[in-house]
Amino acid sequence: MSPIDRRDFLVHGASAAAAFALTSELVAAASLPQTKVPIDVALVGCGRQGRAILGELAKIEGVKVVAVVDVLDARLKSGQRRVQGAEGYATIAEMLDKAKSVAAVFVATPSHTHKDVALECLAAGKHVYVESPLATTLDDCRTLVQAARKSGKVCVTGMYGRSNPIYGLARSFFRSGALRDTVTMRAQYHKKSTWRTPGANAEEEAALNWPLDPKVSLGLVGEYGTQQFDVFHWFLGAYPTAVRGFGSIQLHKDGRTVHDTVLCELQFPGERRLIYDATLANSFDSQHELFCGSMGSIKLAWTAGWMFKEADSPTQGWEVYANRQQFHDEQGITLIADATKLAAQGKLKEGVGLPNPPLYYPLADFLKSVTENTPVVCSVEEGLRAAAVAILANQAVTTGQTVAIDEALLKSE
Amino acid sequence: MLRLATSAMATRFELVLVDDGDRLRVRAAGEAALEAVERCDAEWSAFASDSFLAHLNRTAALRPVALDADQFELLAACEDAWRATGGAFDPSVAPLVRALDRRAPCGGELALDAAAAREYVAAAREYVGWDAVRLDRERRTLRFARPGVALDLGGIAKGHALELAARELRAAGVTNALLHGGTSSVLALGAPPDARAWRVALEGGDGAPVVELCDAALSVSAQHGRTLADGSGHVLDPRTRTSAASDATVAVVHADARIAEAWSTALLVLGELPREGRELDVELASAPRGSPSRLDREPPHSQLETDPTMHDSRIETAGAPRGGRFGTAHAPRDLELAFGRGPRFARSWQFNRTPDVSSFLRSATVLP
Repeated sequence: MSPIDRRDFLVHGASAAAAFALTSELVAAASLPQTKVPIDVALVGCGRQGRAILGELAKIEGVKVVAVVDVLDARLKSGQRRVQGAEGYATIAEMLDKAKSVAAVFVATPSHTHKDVALECLAAGKHVYVESPLATTLDDCRTLVQAARKSGKVCVTGMYGRSNPIYGLARSFFRSGALRDTVTMRAQYHKKSTWRTPGANAEEEAALNWPLDPKVSLGLVGEYGTQQFDVFHWFLGAYPTAVRGFGSIQLHKDGRTVHDTVLCELQFPGERRLIYDATLANSFDSQHELFCGSMGSIKLAWTAGWMFKEADSPTQGWEVYANRQQFHDEQGITLIADATKLAAQGKLKEGVGLPNPPLYYPLADFLKSVTENTPVVCSVEEGLRAAAVAILANQAVTTGQTVAIDEALLKSE
Repeated sequence: MLRLATSAMATRFELVLVDDGDRLRVRAAGEAALEAVERCDAEWSAFASDSFLAHLNRTAALRPVALDADQFELLAACEDAWRATGGAFDPSVAPLVRALDRRAPCGGELALDAAAAREYVAAAREYVGWDAVRLDRERRTLRFARPGVALDLGGIAKGHALELAARELRAAGVTNALLHGGTSSVLALGAPPDARAWRVALEGGDGAPVVELCDAALSVSAQHGRTLADGSGHVLDPRTRTSAASDATVAVVHADARIAEAWSTALLVLGELPREGRELDVELASAPRGSPSRLDREPPHSQLETDPTMHDSRIETAGAPRGGRFGTAHAPRDLELAFGRGPRFARSWQFNRTPDVSSFLRSATVLP
């Protein structure tokens, strides 16, 4: 920190110090999460993702989870532990029949069941939030999109990037040309895990381990790539025209056939390429997306984002006051939502991060669309495009061949 | 044996699982347990702005915050421990911890001049005290009586993580495993094959006391090992709102890892087990005040023996471990042992010379 910066941000005196003791509690007062009108909701699928959704919904005043659904009793009970007073149901039909007050349903079931669950809920007149990927076949995606349109209800895909304030800020920089020409793009998902889930018996174990069943699973590109591909779709305003891929089993040689390591190259218009790799054999650098341009780079890692400027890039002003983080010999400028406002308050250097996990934001956006009739942030049409790209990428990975992505495949008709 | 590890809560959590022949299932169970630890870290981190704890601290002064069953269990354990320890364990020290560490409520470091730092600490002291925390056990909500109150669960969260991890293991049918967080919090499920208990040495070196754990948890606490930005020790005395003066190392065994951890923190502050604590079936081993310099330099930890055959060299008395880990400056006879009540109270602590095999904690994660 330069002497000038240091002087600017050194806190003097008692009044400022006392204010710090209270800041976090009072600053929240103006923006407590709540819906405009009370709403009763249900969750279908009480696995890890479903339980995480319940945790975030509990933060939003006005939302009452009145029902949870899961075919597995142990999971259903886990879901009920998350929400006091929620009724548990083994089937969606029973929930729809008995929990009449439910206005919106969150679908967090295995990906290949999304379509059937969502169709049942839409047919019952419920608003529906579907976790990503929207579905696992192109036909299922189209069927679901058409049903959503016909229903007149709010139906969205949970694409976290589009709702994430840090990603929104980064996109505004990107779209304003801060990186100038996009040169190359990379994304990765790294986690060391067998991707297996223990079950109480063989039957339960088979049901829980659907990601390792090649008949229904889209593999790593489907389960994780879909979210990340959508970030590039959203930033570029374009979709890939072809994909080639490679897959292998590098670590978990336990009889599985679904790859534990994959690599894809997605070709976008304008000879721009995205290199995507995902592995369950290594955890280094976790999950992130990287845009490299002729004037700088943006790295996004879901709870944080950074801009790296080329030496000859022009100063924009705000970055002088921003937090910085050293990455080997590169210095990243931390991207913080509401950076301008915080800079005016002298708070940019306090390391203000996202106040909620990335999952919170698409849920809150969906509820806002339902209760306040605001435009949806991620439509099922965009969900279809992201899922379609993932489906074709998985096809490329499993066949080892280049797959063309015809524009027609990304349409819902 | 199958060993798995993850990084969470600024330390390393490790599992030792007994391979019962179904290695795939046991490993999957272990991974589910480690994910529970990671979720607990994400939920209760005092440093992450997006943790549930951050949400709680931002919101609870303004409206009641709904708790799920696990969150409620943890906060109820905090309140119980606060009451039983006479306030020696109190997670509401958060504002003071932040101030002494010169951190903003949102976690970022603050550049404060000396006067501002002093004032920040003085202001923060006014917000310490669980009596301003309202835990509604019927509605399962938590509320702060006034703005400025905040919680830091650093004194209990590792124990909670171990309990959640153990629950995942039990649900998957794993009945024999050893779990630890940074070696200072240990939870034993069952025992290794052909042994009656998991054996855990308190600190290293020859003659270290060894605790036998079977369906029980151990927590080791000491003031040394980490300091706050102002140079004070990280364990605060919530009653005086200053850094606890103790230089002891305290070890506590209890059936619940949360309670063991809360009590080991509190006992550093108290120096002895109060009457109320004796009703909780807490066992206590404590090093004397004025521990040797080696302890002053190193964080508290235990060493875990994974070889269940190491049962020789046991000294059956509750007296002195010879040439103990606690050094020559303080005779081992000064160790205070076996406080508590109930069946465990009658059990003597047993020591042996620390065997050479107690080093798995330093090894890398084992791959399948």
